[in-house]
Amino acid sequence: MESRKSAKKAPQKDKPARNGKLTLCGTTFSVLPLYLFTLAFVLAPLIYMFVLSFMQRGGSWGVEMSLSFDNYLRITEPVYLGTFTESIKLALLCTLFVALLGYPFGYFMARLSPLWRQRVMLLLIVPFWTSSLMRLYGWIIFFRANGTLDHALMGIGLTQGPLRLLYSYPAVVTGMVYALLPFMAYSVYASAEKLDRSLVEASRNLGASALRAFFSVSFPLTMPGLFSGIVLTFIPSMGLFFIADILGGSKVVLVGNLIQEQLMRAHDWPFAAALSVCLMALTSIFLFLYSRLTRALGSGGELEGLV
Amino acid sequence: MNRQHNSIRVSVENFSRQALGAFFRAEPEKTGLSAPIQRILLCKIRKDFRFYPLRGKSQALCAFFLAAALVLFLFSGCSKREKTAAGNPQGSGAETASAGGTLTIFTWAEMFPPEVLKSFEKDTGYKINMVNFDENETMLTKLETSGGSGYDLIIADDYIIETVIEKGLAQKLKPDKIPNFGNINPVYQSQFYDPSNEYTIPYGAGVQTIVYNPGIVNINIQGFTELWDPRLKNNLAVVANPRVVTGMALKTLGYSYNTEDVGAIREAGSILLSLAPNIRLIRDDKLDDEILSGEVAAALMYTSDATNAKIENPGLKVVFPREGVGFGIMAGFIPSRAANEEAAHAFFTYILDPQRGAQCFEFLGYYSTYAASDNLISEKYREFLTLPEGIGEMEMMDNISPEAEEAHSIVWTAFKAAAGHK
Repeated sequence: MESRKSAKKAPQKDKPARNGKLTLCGTTFSVLPLYLFTLAFVLAPLIYMFVLSFMQRGGSWGVEMSLSFDNYLRITEPVYLGTFTESIKLALLCTLFVALLGYPFGYFMARLSPLWRQRVMLLLIVPFWTSSLMRLYGWIIFFRANGTLDHALMGIGLTQGPLRLLYSYPAVVTGMVYALLPFMAYSVYASAEKLDRSLVEASRNLGASALRAFFSVSFPLTMPGLFSGIVLTFIPSMGLFFIADILGGSKVVLVGNLIQEQLMRAHDWPFAAALSVCLMALTSIFLFLYSRLTRALGSGGELEGLV
Repeated sequence: MNRQHNSIRVSVENFSRQALGAFFRAEPEKTGLSAPIQRILLCKIRKDFRFYPLRGKSQALCAFFLAAALVLFLFSGCSKREKTAAGNPQGSGAETASAGGTLTIFTWAEMFPPEVLKSFEKDTGYKINMVNFDENETMLTKLETSGGSGYDLIIADDYIIETVIEKGLAQKLKPDKIPNFGNINPVYQSQFYDPSNEYTIPYGAGVQTIVYNPGIVNINIQGFTELWDPRLKNNLAVVANPRVVTGMALKTLGYSYNTEDVGAIREAGSILLSLAPNIRLIRDDKLDDEILSGEVAAALMYTSDATNAKIENPGLKVVFPREGVGFGIMAGFIPSRAANEEAAHAFFTYILDPQRGAQCFEFLGYYSTYAASDNLISEKYREFLTLPEGIGEMEMMDNISPEAEEAHSIVWTAFKAAAGHK
């Protein structure tokens, strides 16, 4: 009630400031629900998680209220630290492959005729209509011993026996790249679509080779897309534990796997919370360093569609 | 203000352009849509995304009402969901008590043959409301939240039932309401989770067996020890249960599955590291697919998968490890504040019937826990669904101390990582 009154009063106060004040008022009210939503469903769980990470497990189930740093100390166990380095390694590797494949994809997609652009976009979107788990099982059928790939290869006489590609590190990387490629392709596309072709033409007219024109005009101008694509790939790939489980046969242990296991198997919620807090801190540090890096590289810290 | 509006407008337009694609901006002849239709669509989009700058009072009022509506919607949505999630079973329980009969069963998917459920409804007049969970842990969390209400009958794994009973979330059965209680095979009774059989009726049991394909590996596997054989390099699958896999190493060393001696668990961990090169796959379900396709030559798996594998390929060998056999029991209990315990008792009595029990276990693919049903299981399945003679020592996995649990967790993580880095 009170807020409504103030909204009513505001316009009558003084005319010059009227517009500005009104907008402020309008903005406050229209943003309020989202604000409350974020507080209730994002901030509150985060606080809960943070507090939980200082408690102790209570026997075989539940949580004991006692404040200690034990959970964080346990993370320093080499085995657990190993999962963090493993996660970062895999995330970097995936991001590299996704960038190598996704950048040209998005770049050339933007140069297609509008009709083909629609078709390619549709092809990229269609797989999202089925559950990602379903699609991963598709990869299992494809990779499995005596499966589709083996049959095809043996059929044309390239291999003699099953290749046994499933449940290996390359299989996990393939799955991750497959799952994350669209994010890169789209963000590069968004950048490349805005690229003013006349600039490229100008550089060509001035005698630059196609390669030179690409590296001195097109590439720098599409960097924001590439950079945001990298963020959109790197962050999720730290947490896609089910891909590592399904395609890697649970042999690739990422922090995500460890957290899931602590929650569901060991019933050690506080330790899982501590791991999550560390993972979040780690990704935040990465994001911070990355934004510094992109700024230094001259994209002005601009991330296509993200900032 | 203008600038702000413009920027919003630009971003909204950007959004419309990017999200809906260049489709509508494309030349009509290229999109394949007729020009008028495209024009209409285009107008619609422009209209939808146009920013109507409201003036003065109306703007503030409009913003306020929209915000209020959103907030209300949000919270009404919340309370509604709460009702359906936690309260619904409760509510339906209350409704049904007066209507005389819904039985809410909470268990995994595909635990009962649909015919049996249907005939139960027909014979007793109760209506079954089947609610599923994926993991025992989810079940306990929900049951804890609702304080033991919401469900009339729950079937879950042994170790979680121990916690349920400890927390007082289960009620004692009324033996006089289950006249055929004696059909239960005593082997599956008086276990750690319910020592005096006051709370639970077992429904299916599983053992961990080694299944291998003698056509691929020429090893005579008799127990866990042979799994360390270098000829099985990259050819072994195990279940994704740390207690079972580390337990296997513990057994080879002569310890119990349930040892709480951290030193013993670490020792088991070190010999597990030497098993790592043989490990191709760690997963809980569908290991039968892997052994049938030839992805692995040997696997430590649960009963239902072993049964499937053996039925599909009779050439496979199923081994009960000589070091000892680990087993688990699924059991049903009635939550402490069940709305319709009458129906739950009726259901127990119904499936304890020897014939129906046999039908259930054939469907379930786990060991029959009702001695009276054993001989009624069809020839095809009997050998897989009843406990073999001379199976040797059997041991269940209890809940262990937090320290032992932490040691297991370290050993397990190290083992998985070692299996990945070979």
